[in-house]
Amino acid sequence: MPTYTDMTRCDGCGECVDICPSDIMHIDPIYRRSYNIEPNMCWECYSCVKACPQNAIDVRGYADFAPLGHKVRVLREPEKGVISWKIRYRDGRLKEFAFPIRTTPWGSIKPPQDYEKPDMSAIGSQMLAHEPEALHVEFPVLPAYKTRA
Amino acid sequence: MFTNNPFAAVTDFFSPLAMQIYIVLMVLAVVIGTLLDVYHKGSAKFFAQRKAKSRAAAERPLSGGETFSLALETVAEAGVSGEFCKWPRRLSHLLMMYGFFIYITTTVVLVFCYPSAASVPAILSGLWTLGASMILAGGLWFFFLLRVNVAFDGDSPFHLGRADLFVVSLIASVAFALLWNYAQTAYANPAATWITFGLYIFFTTLLFVGVPWSKFAHMFFKPAVAFQRRVEEANGSSDLPSPSAENYIVRS
Repeated sequence: MPTYTDMTRCDGCGECVDICPSDIMHIDPIYRRSYNIEPNMCWECYSCVKACPQNAIDVRGYADFAPLGHKVRVLREPEKGVISWKIRYRDGRLKEFAFPIRTTPWGSIKPPQDYEKPDMSAIGSQMLAHEPEALHVEFPVLPAYKTRA
Repeated sequence: MFTNNPFAAVTDFFSPLAMQIYIVLMVLAVVIGTLLDVYHKGSAKFFAQRKAKSRAAAERPLSGGETFSLALETVAEAGVSGEFCKWPRRLSHLLMMYGFFIYITTTVVLVFCYPSAASVPAILSGLWTLGASMILAGGLWFFFLLRVNVAFDGDSPFHLGRADLFVVSLIASVAFALLWNYAQTAYANPAATWITFGLYIFFTTLLFVGVPWSKFAHMFFKPAVAFQRRVEEANGSSDLPSPSAENYIVRS
């Protein structure tokens, strides 16, 4: 089932429009709130559900954890690094899950363009761009490879 | 300009009573427009159903004192536009909201208490100008840079749609109000004065008569929804998951 925006919660910030990989979350021309313009093209990636700061987007869960007739609500707590889910099953049972999503504050990871451009000598390195500092680890100094005389 | 009462010049052609009747008609237009909007959208029915649902699902009933405290919290949140998650939108909204209150209040005082006085206390005229300027600053900032369809949906900053009826008529109304005041004091050109006055009245009427088609009524709906949401969170009937007890952020 595609995403559904609760108009009473949405404040029209545009986060869902920005993050939707299918580009199907748009802004309603009358109420200036988000809505799904092409429900049958939604692949239920939950990106908008997790990005919405107002917890305004509802979506049906995958069939492997919630059979038909249920309702899924999500609570986003970026300051705690967790996203919680509440499922109301069709027989009335409630289940809640809390998923830790990260260990660093929201927005603290630098995008690649914020790093200095590597020089050409880096092309011979076995490390990926901006490693190891981007991984926040100290790279071990490996012993020199000894060749046999 | 800052001690001028722009409405005094109108009394040469219209009686003070006509201006006062116009204001009363605009208040009626807002009331009727909001009621039509409520009827058209079924908002009253929606809120009644939501309230009944919340009461049925409540894990603990709220006392009168708790409900009153939640109402105060809602007013406090609305007073600082706390529902907005991004500071530029919040600041622009606050400029427009407080500007609107100041502007409307001083307009009513000027028209009802000083209808034909050419010179009024500087504080009154100054607040009228300040209120209009705040609306203009917040409104233009919102219209050109912060509108979500412009910022995120790829629309041109000059795009106009039905959702813009409220903000455009508000901006145009105060812009022509300021120009009208300026035309009276600094420019002293009768033609310019009457043209700006005509445009000011046109956009002001559009602002208040257009309530059923514009977003004007959101200033009544939003606090009602915010209050209901607080009640649902307090009585345990909210459909949202409980907040996590653990903090998983371990590194800055």
